[in-house]
Amino acid sequence: MSGATPTANPPPPAAGITTRRTLLRGLAGAAGAGLAGAAMSGCSSPKDVARASTSDPWRQFAGTTLNFVSENTAPTAAIAANLAPFTELTGIRVNIVTLELSALVQKVALDLASGQSQYQVIYADPYQVLAPYSKGLVDLRELAADSSVPHLTGGFGDFIPTQLEAAGKFGDRDKVFALPYDCPTMIWHYRKDLFDKHHDAMSNDLGFDPTPGADTTWDQYAAIAKWFNDKTDDIPYGTGHQAKQHDSLMCDFSNVLWSYGGDYFDNGKAVGSLGATDPGKCRLDSDQAAEAAAFYDRLLASADPASRTWDWDGVGAAFRAGRIAMCPNWHEFAASNEAAMPGKVGYARLPKGPARSASHYGGTGIGISANTLPNERRAAWLFTVWATAPRTQLANLKSKAGGGTPTRTSVYELPEVRKAEKRPSAMPNMLTADAVNEAWKPANIGLRPKIPMWNECDTAIYTQLSRMLLGDAKPAQAMGDTADRIDRIVARGWVS
Amino acid sequence: MSAAAPTSPLERGTKSSRTLAWVLLAVGLVWTLVPLVWMLSSSLKSKADVTSGTPKFLFAPTLDNYRNLFSGANDLTPYLTHSILAGGVSAVLAVALGALAGYGLSRTRMRGRRHLSFWIISTRMAPIAAVVLPLFLIFRQLDLIDSVFGLVLAYLTFDLPFAIWLMSAFFADVPPSLEESALVAGCSRWQAFYRVVLPLTKAGLVTTFVLCLVFAWNDYAFALVFSGPNSQTLPIAASQLVTQTGIDWGQLCAIGTFVVVPMMLAGLAVRRWLVTGLTLGAVTGE
Amino acid sequence: MSDTLTDVSEKSASRTGRRQPRLAFEGRLMAPGVILLAALSIVPFLAIIWMNFSQVRLLGGVATSWVGLDNWARFFSDLDMAANWLRTGAFFVLTVGLEMVGGVVLALCLWRVVRGRNLVLSLLLLPMFVAPVVVGLLGRFLTDSTFGLYAWLLRGTGYTGDILGGKYSAFAAVVAMDVWEWTPLIALITLAGLSSVPLSVREAASIDGASGAQSLRHIVLPSISNVLLVALLIRSMDAIRYFDIIWVTTNGGPADATKTVPVRLYETAFRFFDLGYAATIGLVMLAVSIAIARIFVRLLDQKGLTR
Repeated sequence: MSGATPTANPPPPAAGITTRRTLLRGLAGAAGAGLAGAAMSGCSSPKDVARASTSDPWRQFAGTTLNFVSENTAPTAAIAANLAPFTELTGIRVNIVTLELSALVQKVALDLASGQSQYQVIYADPYQVLAPYSKGLVDLRELAADSSVPHLTGGFGDFIPTQLEAAGKFGDRDKVFALPYDCPTMIWHYRKDLFDKHHDAMSNDLGFDPTPGADTTWDQYAAIAKWFNDKTDDIPYGTGHQAKQHDSLMCDFSNVLWSYGGDYFDNGKAVGSLGATDPGKCRLDSDQAAEAAAFYDRLLASADPASRTWDWDGVGAAFRAGRIAMCPNWHEFAASNEAAMPGKVGYARLPKGPARSASHYGGTGIGISANTLPNERRAAWLFTVWATAPRTQLANLKSKAGGGTPTRTSVYELPEVRKAEKRPSAMPNMLTADAVNEAWKPANIGLRPKIPMWNECDTAIYTQLSRMLLGDAKPAQAMGDTADRIDRIVARGWVS
Repeated sequence: MSAAAPTSPLERGTKSSRTLAWVLLAVGLVWTLVPLVWMLSSSLKSKADVTSGTPKFLFAPTLDNYRNLFSGANDLTPYLTHSILAGGVSAVLAVALGALAGYGLSRTRMRGRRHLSFWIISTRMAPIAAVVLPLFLIFRQLDLIDSVFGLVLAYLTFDLPFAIWLMSAFFADVPPSLEESALVAGCSRWQAFYRVVLPLTKAGLVTTFVLCLVFAWNDYAFALVFSGPNSQTLPIAASQLVTQTGIDWGQLCAIGTFVVVPMMLAGLAVRRWLVTGLTLGAVTGE
Repeated sequence: MSDTLTDVSEKSASRTGRRQPRLAFEGRLMAPGVILLAALSIVPFLAIIWMNFSQVRLLGGVATSWVGLDNWARFFSDLDMAANWLRTGAFFVLTVGLEMVGGVVLALCLWRVVRGRNLVLSLLLLPMFVAPVVVGLLGRFLTDSTFGLYAWLLRGTGYTGDILGGKYSAFAAVVAMDVWEWTPLIALITLAGLSSVPLSVREAASIDGASGAQSLRHIVLPSISNVLLVALLIRSMDAIRYFDIIWVTTNGGPADATKTVPVRLYETAFRFFDLGYAATIGLVMLAVSIAIARIFVRLLDQKGLTR
């Protein structure tokens, strides 16, 4: 990937290329002629946006329209609800298309494949977009070094380093394909009101202090869950999980897997942070993985049975509806929790397993399509810089429409943000600050493998886990089957 | 059986069999209507009422969910415009081309017309996910991605074969003697078709139009791939309501109702003639 | 009927003294539609054939490299494919079967009642017009274990499980959603068939003293068998490629219980972007759909019903 830089991009297809023409494209062209004849307007090459000469580098692309395709996450909801500052600053209009994650991945891949850029700014999920299609994204260091456009506010160094690496890079330490845009991380959400109310009874019955803390273990978590099931009618179930046959099940299980000392591949941390194209043999056939799976199976047996139908949204809604006393979930749900049951929810780092505590990081960056034309690319850069700027992140935090949490160190250091970590908080997502700061420590963070064939591996993992949870496979067998499948998928390799 | 009217004993049946029929129909109606009624009523509920643990059967209705559909950042108006344009234009094209081809198909005696006719309907069986990539590349080449006209073409892939079959069924019902007399009276074949046959199949044209419109209006898979900020349709808007901050079911029910009601009205308006088309002419009307 | 038609066009051709080949007029009428359809279907079809022998890469414009029969080797050694097909088969038989039975029963009932028939029929038809994506989302809403109406009703009957969380219940739920949407179509078609059963036939049956059930079995059903075949043909074309509702509700889970071939195809194409393999799966699906449709069309042909 070092050879062909993303900027050495093939020209738009209609411009008559000399590069390898494929039958597919030939067919497409032939059909084009048959369908519409030469009169069709589409056969002209796409035009770059106009660049005005102005002293304000922010306004040089005024009048341009950009398209931003994003997953329907909290920060995008906040930005979509308040685009006016950007339009005022730059004169650029931005259309935001928000989609469910799998629909997003499909749209991005097709757009990259088309050789043009319907979407200039892309929400680049590190595992589903960045790893497989990093060659389709612009190396943002080049734009940051371009003196004709505004520089990156605060610089790359202001991003939380682990996040810049996990969400922004793939395979090459010197290239940044995406700027960290959101940083959902799995933490322990619990009904503080119920934990307080039953504190003494639980301590007595269980023999330990149930308050979620630095030393609470997964076994204790399971015991607390059972206690809520059996000993109180305040709430139907103790714990709930995002255990639908979906990406979310892999996310939920991984916390346990890592805390038991298991991992998907050797060198899990490196494969998780910088990523790899060939991660080697899958390690899910280890004893630790089998133990983790066995524990997860037991835990889910006493969880709300509807867990098997929930993804992260489902378990979040159930928690807010008062069905469950606690759950592991993304910390960005805090704002909705606070809106539904103000003051009743507490947050903590996830429990410890025999090896460590692991909190799954699910952050994503935004990047720029390498199919963009030079000025279009610069205009997209303006939006990318603005959308990840400290001031915008601060505004997101205050937004009524979701919000997300900052990916920049400087925002967390602002006095008003520090103040919001405690109730009453004007920025409810900041109530999770203590928990996520713990979670983001290198010892505690959990990073899934960043490999280009991840989507298929992910599917194998959550499918086998789902079989285990429904009694179709024993835990060790489920892990072994998953390892076999992943080895086959990885052996097939990846061509993008 | 004895008490029944003598003209059509089976149609009336015995008293007990009529009771049984009504009981079964009642079960069928409940099964059919409960989800729809629930969707409609949920669309009129406040957020708290929708997400109440015990279903609320009595509630204070509110139009908030509908109002929200047309205000603020997620204004539904452009989606609605795209849906009407893409669905309407593709249905009109399908009917126009389908009427011509259907008439030709019903009257031709060319060899292999059975094969042609089977090929036409078989194009409708293609698995969507498999044909989408080639179509996407063609559309990209023609600059039809994210355009309403691109959606029109995409919808024609399933509407056109359907329209041809339907219309040929309707034309087959028109007695050829009519054309014969028209030809005797000095009409050209085109005039015989256009002036004599076509007016007789108005019902067929309307039915075909409505069914094509329903298919196009309801499409999700093609719209997901081919549409963009300038061409998103209503089903896409519905799926976009599934978001991280929780699914707003009230809003979703409102949009569902909004998507469904026009098609139901259109469908019921042509119910009488649906049969001829849908049985491919094996049964002629009610 | 086609014989009379033949006569007409021959006669008319001779009377108006046309010298053109007989196909010309019909051919000209068919041309625009058929050509457009060909452009929209044959090119993708050829592309799929090409893709199924290739590995397809996307970035920088689509490119393919020839891999011969690799995708087919993979297809036949695929651990999950047989299970996917079995599930598709079960889904097909269950949905189409239940829709046929339900549709015929409803049609028979409607046929027996005279007053209110049109109103009841109109109400019964409504699900046909609902967008599948709305059906799926509505299904999720109704079965949601926190505030779903059906989940709540089932709890009242003592069912404690979770509808979309169990293997069999989830499968049953997606089948039920399809049945909900399409039974009305069968009812509509069957009712039309029943209404065209000649009165004399029915009267003859009653004069012979045949009981209701017997006349139903020996006289009524046989006389509408052709209509039932058409209904079967229409439903089965779509039942094989059906996936919208499953994708929206269960995503193929739990434990792969609802992962039918079209879901697998969609996932292979648009989650894994393994387009060569997806083309292979798609070709097999197309072949199966066409084979099934052929069977029905041949049956109809034998009865002389296709025109």
